[in-house]
Amino acid sequence: MSTVYSRSGSPVFRLLVSFPIACFSAAFVTDVVYVVSARIMWADFSDWLLAGGIAVGVLAAIVGIADAASRRRVLPRRPVLPLAIGGLVVLLLAFLDNLVHSRDAWTSVVPEGIALSAVIVLVMLITAWADAAAVSRARLRYAEMVA
Amino acid sequence: MSVFSTRLAFAGVAVLALTGANTDNFDVSSQIGPNPVLPPLQQYLLPPMKLAPGVGWKQGETPKVPADLRITALATGLEHPRSVYTLPNGDVLIVESRSPGLDPYSRPKNIVMNWMESMVTSNGVTSGSNRITLVRDTHGNGPNLRTVFIDHLHSPFGVALVGNDLYVANTDEILRFPYKDGDTSISGPGTVLTPLPGGPIDHHWTKSLVASEDGSKLYVGVGSNSNITENGIGAEFERACIWEVDRATGAHRIFASGLRNPNGLTWQPQSHALWAVVNERDELGPDLVPDYMTSVKDGAFYGWPYSYYGQHLDPRVHPQRPDLVAKAIPPDYALSSHVAPLGLVFDTGTGLPSRFSGGAFVGEHGSWDRQVFNGYKVVFVPFSAGVPSGKAEDVVTGFLDDKGNARGRPVALALDKSGALLIADDVGNTVWRVTAANPQQASK
Repeated sequence: MSTVYSRSGSPVFRLLVSFPIACFSAAFVTDVVYVVSARIMWADFSDWLLAGGIAVGVLAAIVGIADAASRRRVLPRRPVLPLAIGGLVVLLLAFLDNLVHSRDAWTSVVPEGIALSAVIVLVMLITAWADAAAVSRARLRYAEMVA
Repeated sequence: MSVFSTRLAFAGVAVLALTGANTDNFDVSSQIGPNPVLPPLQQYLLPPMKLAPGVGWKQGETPKVPADLRITALATGLEHPRSVYTLPNGDVLIVESRSPGLDPYSRPKNIVMNWMESMVTSNGVTSGSNRITLVRDTHGNGPNLRTVFIDHLHSPFGVALVGNDLYVANTDEILRFPYKDGDTSISGPGTVLTPLPGGPIDHHWTKSLVASEDGSKLYVGVGSNSNITENGIGAEFERACIWEVDRATGAHRIFASGLRNPNGLTWQPQSHALWAVVNERDELGPDLVPDYMTSVKDGAFYGWPYSYYGQHLDPRVHPQRPDLVAKAIPPDYALSSHVAPLGLVFDTGTGLPSRFSGGAFVGEHGSWDRQVFNGYKVVFVPFSAGVPSGKAEDVVTGFLDDKGNARGRPVALALDKSGALLIADDVGNTVWRVTAANPQQASK
């Protein structure tokens, strides 16, 4: 019953989407370490993490869209709206953050860079929560329907 | 915080528009002279970048000069000539040099910028070069001898002769070679007088060189290792300064500091002060920060990286150094922003019309980070009593064609034995020679 559909889409999508989540979370951490230490290496890490996260995130989005578009409707449709909206917002913010991080030295992180990195983590948390809530609601509806 | 949120809201729609930032009609000439207008600084999501693709000179094409001057090619078909030096017997040394290519791929930005540059420039020679060519023009009507003088150098730039000791500044060391009058080539590796800051990162790699007038010291321009400390402050050790090197021992001290990329080191003929042209920082706007020429005072600090033009703080540098900023002095004469001055020579000869006597010629390699090109010419700054006494005036132009391609780009300058102005052109792969159109007009 509880495995009518996975909580977060196809296995390939889940594999891919974990990468930007890890990268963007880590970018916030490396931003914090840069602000504390003023060691440029940490700002460089953030820059790569954002770029890598965006690259795989775009791939995940493509797979996600293909999944949503092509899935045969034997099983009820998994709710996709929270992930789609949240994912898009995160990718746009990460791109903006990446541009800010392409500045040289301190102002690549302070204040806009680290603020954006924090907002991205926040949006990812809200997206995860909204997605989980939507899936739970859909499951309840399905359970009622089957019953 | 309100500035931040406004900027963010704006950024979403303006990401692509932000590069077109200098559509305002800023008067570039307001940044030429001792007290340049400094607009508020800007920071970018996408800094403007506009490079002039190198196309070279067609047969018969030359740069333009005013009616009282004449320009001819002293040597063509060179491999990225960056500087010129005249030996006492009139032989001209042409330093052909390429970048050591040691900028690290620290960030995605480095990959993007290198790719953009490789798309449009032909001046990134990757092989050959790194040698000195000797040109001899016995009769003043074109060279009758051209030889490879010293080969297999390491991104050389500065040359200085003291007696029979010829010094060549590679990017990472000063070499001494034995020279005697009439030599047309020197073999052997040379002797290291002192190492200079080179790799593993070597951002500003040209090492300008001049000997003191008594010959006891050498002065070396050592450029910064970054635009504005983005490779870490540790990478800037003993950089962005002018070294004074003892010729007998090779020992050095920092003569003056805070000079982001000093070049064209030379002695002002009246005041006997050391002068240099300096490339200032990028990505604060199309009209910040003006590049400049200045007399270089012993022990002085000129701001980089912490501040520019005295105490104007650069917010990109952290931690700041208020103790150093308090000492920072403004330079003498602004040349306007991003013109990239790399050559400086005072007219001490008799080969040019008298209106140039005692003034300075400046070779401006040209801008890459503003929407409207600036530089790409040789300008003249009049001097009187050892200080600049008027506005810079264009002397050698026409390096850009009307489509915005670079036929050439001027780098370092020198006078030849007759007093003619020599210009190294590293995109046109030529050394140009500027003389009086009418030899009678030349100052005697």
